[in-house]
Amino acid sequence: MNALNTDTFEHYASEVPPEAIKLHVQNLDFFYGKNQALHGVSLPVVNKGVTAMIGPSGCGKSTLLRVLNRIYGLYPGQKAKGMVMLDGENILDRKVDVATLRSRVGMVFQKPTPFPMSIYDNVAFGVRLYEGLNRAEMDQRVEESLRKAALWDEVKDKLKSSGLGLSGGQQQRLCVARGIAVKPEVLLLDEPASALDPLSTAKLEETIVDLKKDYTIVIVTHNLQQATRVSDNTAFMFLGRLIEFAPTAELFSAPRAKRTADYIGGRFG
Amino acid sequence: MTAIDPALSRRAPPKGAALDPVFRYACFAAATALLASLTGIVISLLIGGWPALAKFGFHFFTSTEWNPVTEVFGAEGPIIGTLVSAILALVFSLPVAFGVAVFLVEFCPSPLRRPIGVAVELLAGIPSIVYGMWGLFVFAPFFAMHVQLPLMTMAQPGSLLEKLTAGVPNGANIFTASVILAIMILPYMAAVLRELLLTVPVQLRESGYGMGSTPLEVIMSVSLPYVRRSAVGAVMLGLGRALGETMAVTFVIGNSHSLPKSLFDSGSTIASTIANEFNEATGAMHTSALIALGLVLFLITFVVLAMARALLGSDKQV
Repeated sequence: MNALNTDTFEHYASEVPPEAIKLHVQNLDFFYGKNQALHGVSLPVVNKGVTAMIGPSGCGKSTLLRVLNRIYGLYPGQKAKGMVMLDGENILDRKVDVATLRSRVGMVFQKPTPFPMSIYDNVAFGVRLYEGLNRAEMDQRVEESLRKAALWDEVKDKLKSSGLGLSGGQQQRLCVARGIAVKPEVLLLDEPASALDPLSTAKLEETIVDLKKDYTIVIVTHNLQQATRVSDNTAFMFLGRLIEFAPTAELFSAPRAKRTADYIGGRFG
Repeated sequence: MTAIDPALSRRAPPKGAALDPVFRYACFAAATALLASLTGIVISLLIGGWPALAKFGFHFFTSTEWNPVTEVFGAEGPIIGTLVSAILALVFSLPVAFGVAVFLVEFCPSPLRRPIGVAVELLAGIPSIVYGMWGLFVFAPFFAMHVQLPLMTMAQPGSLLEKLTAGVPNGANIFTASVILAIMILPYMAAVLRELLLTVPVQLRESGYGMGSTPLEVIMSVSLPYVRRSAVGAVMLGLGRALGETMAVTFVIGNSHSLPKSLFDSGSTIASTIANEFNEATGAMHTSALIALGLVLFLITFVVLAMARALLGSDKQV
């Protein structure tokens, strides 16, 4: 690999009209202690669309995702420099309340992480934190969220049983339901299908495509086919830098950067 | 690649093979010795305590009359004293232990993490006699002067406060003993709770925060439920320790055999009674009664620890 000099990295980014941008990463540097993991990343996330982030392991795509809801802030020693504008407000600003931010920018993790409580309570968990719904409204919200996550039919008769008793694929869709129940503006998905079998993956992908009508979604994936199936725009990252950002069809059919072409052509990574 | 040397395929057993049976039997002997001594203790306690148990029967547990002169022994005072002081100690130390554990796991800036962790361990390393001495010479007088007396003078005659605080204001009472016990079991419970909280998977914890929860909400709704059984087990371990603690309690509990009438009344525990009287027990019945007390303490502690063990091991099946 070449020297880690910025000059050696190509950079191509398609223009996005500013009014279509929900979340705008601007010149973001990120540090794990002294290790710099992101170098001047700028990325527009289009409103009510799916943005995929691809790239070889360790390229910083998960790190970037973890900046978007400031979950990295749980760990002292990790810090971000630059700006991430959510509807014109810099979420990296100290004054931003992280709990509220995270209710606006939800996250689903690589492995399913149901809370140790019933299916119903898992979905209602976040809603109870922020809204005072009555019983009927809550029932409705839970059903609606489970339906959107394509899980309702499988669990409607056992809402009171533990979320830990579901299969891996169901657990992951439960986590999606839990994430969308609070009606976040942005939903971050960190390789959500990596622990799932093909059938569950297909269901989850359908869910994602369905969800983009209402939500802005950012998905990190190692699966390039998945990126082409679900996303509108794709960002290719490499060694902590954004190499190329373009509409998905364009990026996969006519990549402009040589590294992008090599990666999606399977020549490395 | 060459073929395997035929000499090698007929190789002799490893050099340690001759020692292996010896090693096995040595381990077996160690385990057997442990079991045998445990059984021996239980049997000898049963034999030694049998005269008292046979003579007083159920009254041994329900009577508060403990009189070596007339040789009448009822152990309700020490038994209740043991349970009350241990449970009070638990009530005092649990919130603090919980706070220490949560602070260390969730909030502690990394430079402070080690010093606090070491302090917790040091606290666990102080011998109980030192706690007892400190309790008797420092804490009890301080407590009598600055807590017990003011509360007693403040209490209206006939009020609940008066009932709770009645007693001789010398600082040697159930309450002080419980506080000392609480300090003693604190480091154990804090350490175990901390270990438990650290077993919560990172992604589960992050999911909790990812929903927009505050640390308190994550701890209460996600982390604690995840480790709930083990947490109860940790508490039981602390309780087991408090039940059996002898020296520190003997120093500050006041050593009276009657049933404590208030929080600030002197009392006794099973362990303190045995420690105080075994040397002077001349009558056979007195000795037997003390041994029977020992058996009772053994059983109480055994039940608590068995429950702790059952709960500690059972989280994985959730």
